[in-house]
Amino acid sequence: MSMTKSQRRHTFSAFRYLVLTVWLTIVAFPMFWMVSTSFKPDREWFAWPPVYISENATLQNYLVVWADVSEYAVDETGNLETVAQSLQRPWTALGNSALISVISTTLTVLFGSVLAYGVSRYGILSEGRMFQLLMLRMVPPIVLIAPISIWYSALGLLDSITGLVMLYFLTTLPYAVWMSKSFIDEVPREMEQAAEILGASRMRTIWEVVLPLVRSGLVATFLFILILTWSEYLLALLLSKTAVVTLPVELSKYQGSTEGRIYGRQAALSVGITLPLIVVGLIIRKHLARGFSFGMVRR
Amino acid sequence: MTADATIDTTPAAGSKRERTRAQGIRRFKWAVLTPFLALMLFILMPALLLQGYFSFFAFSIFDAGENTGFSSYFEASEWVGLDLWSDALSDAKFGLAIIRSLLFATGVTVGCFIIGFALALLMYRPFRGQGIYYIFFILPMLTVPIVIAYTGEMILYQNGPLNDILSIITQTRVEAQFLYKQEVALTSIAFLEIWNWTPFSFIIMMAGLASLPKEPQEAAQILGANKWRIFWEVQVPLLRPVILLALILRFLESMAEFPKTWGLLQGGPGSATETVPVYIFINAWQFFDISYGAVLSYLILFMMAGIVLSAIWLLRREKKSLDAMYESKPQEG
Repeated sequence: MSMTKSQRRHTFSAFRYLVLTVWLTIVAFPMFWMVSTSFKPDREWFAWPPVYISENATLQNYLVVWADVSEYAVDETGNLETVAQSLQRPWTALGNSALISVISTTLTVLFGSVLAYGVSRYGILSEGRMFQLLMLRMVPPIVLIAPISIWYSALGLLDSITGLVMLYFLTTLPYAVWMSKSFIDEVPREMEQAAEILGASRMRTIWEVVLPLVRSGLVATFLFILILTWSEYLLALLLSKTAVVTLPVELSKYQGSTEGRIYGRQAALSVGITLPLIVVGLIIRKHLARGFSFGMVRR
Repeated sequence: MTADATIDTTPAAGSKRERTRAQGIRRFKWAVLTPFLALMLFILMPALLLQGYFSFFAFSIFDAGENTGFSSYFEASEWVGLDLWSDALSDAKFGLAIIRSLLFATGVTVGCFIIGFALALLMYRPFRGQGIYYIFFILPMLTVPIVIAYTGEMILYQNGPLNDILSIITQTRVEAQFLYKQEVALTSIAFLEIWNWTPFSFIIMMAGLASLPKEPQEAAQILGANKWRIFWEVQVPLLRPVILLALILRFLESMAEFPKTWGLLQGGPGSATETVPVYIFINAWQFFDISYGAVLSYLILFMMAGIVLSAIWLLRREKKSLDAMYESKPQEG
């Protein structure tokens, strides 16, 4: 087995593309299936053999789910009858999801990054406290959800935006502090000291020296936490009844609906839920790595 | 929370200016922490206390009846001492749920890590197409878990594409049940979870590999070590903190996995997917047995606290050794 160096390199390169393409297929297929199903007419949802790309592609699923268009059919007696319509109100759910995740994420990142600045520059929390903070995120939320809902019922916070925002603030703050701290730590202190020597006030130093340097990192932190709150399911399911139903909870109603499985509709709703996140994620992809490593990776 | 020793950064020179500076920092600290502490005090603490109350006073939904006000929870509960605790400790289903969750979390953690690390090893050096692969590989993490659950069901469905592909490969009609069969249900959910969260391990390991200093590898190469030895004896030891982080965070998050397990199978078929979160959910919300749910929650809280504390101890130790390593060569880092 004697291969020249360039032969070995070629073999490795081929092997790499093979493995990566296999995983690419595994990753892409469910996405493809979701999008493809969302355009299928109902008779193709359960067809055997399964339809991969529908020749009768239709927008019907999107119209029924998102535009509240009802479908009619003629029944045995010759009357028009509604056979399917939007189960709930996806636009209201979309509004709730957007409102809740934007408000709670803004608050979390605002307080989280200021706290992180204090920790990074003045050590206002010891390392031990920082790890205790991380514990908040590490305990499964299910263990406290029942008493919280009882307590919320006493405070009148059940089914309210405030109630969910407060809990999302608490559960995502650890990530916000840790992620933004890893970005702030990278700003050299000398720059702040230089600004101070030049006579700039502390606020001005933070605003004009530190902030521009960590802006992209903070944007990444913001968007990552937005992803977490946007997709949160358990708290939203248990603390909302009608007023603040979010998109993931809305989608789960389709699964439990009496009309049986309605794959096309679910897929059309799923595409709507997923699209904003994918756009957001692609924007921040370069910053995710540093933010995730919690100071365990140095550059 | 008491004032930390670390804020006293100006012990020696007691000049007036330094004292006002320390004061300013202290004011800043409490101003930032107040909203967080207020939420802890008024939302989480009362919830923990209520949880404690209901673990000793059994609540009965039948006594509460139609009345659902806050006080009705107390009127409908009576002192039972440690009865519920001993019930929970001898509850075989609960024990099974814990084992199931531990197996699930271990399998998912190992699966995500091996795939994520392997992909990162293949990808961390630049090559043509790297960017495109990277974008696709992080997509699953950006997908809402409940969407993955339902899309997964469409794919695993008996007349779905997975069975079709298997049929084409084997040239026979495959009608495998991936979800509604006790033996495989939890494994199928685990695969969905691995699909969902491999990007997390992948991203962390990519960052770790990219940040490795070149010198030790070059030195080992000059000394004649082969690639395999460099990997195990140089790269892996240097990556230890990152590896631990990837494993620990993934393990803890999959212990709490709920949307896929509940959204697809609600603990079934039989009780094949009754993991800890699902079992607590069933007791506290489906049977509305708040008291039993409270006891189970407390036991899980203790168990998780033990796991989390040892995880944090490990992480801190690694971070300290990393800090020490970088401080010893001040020109870099």
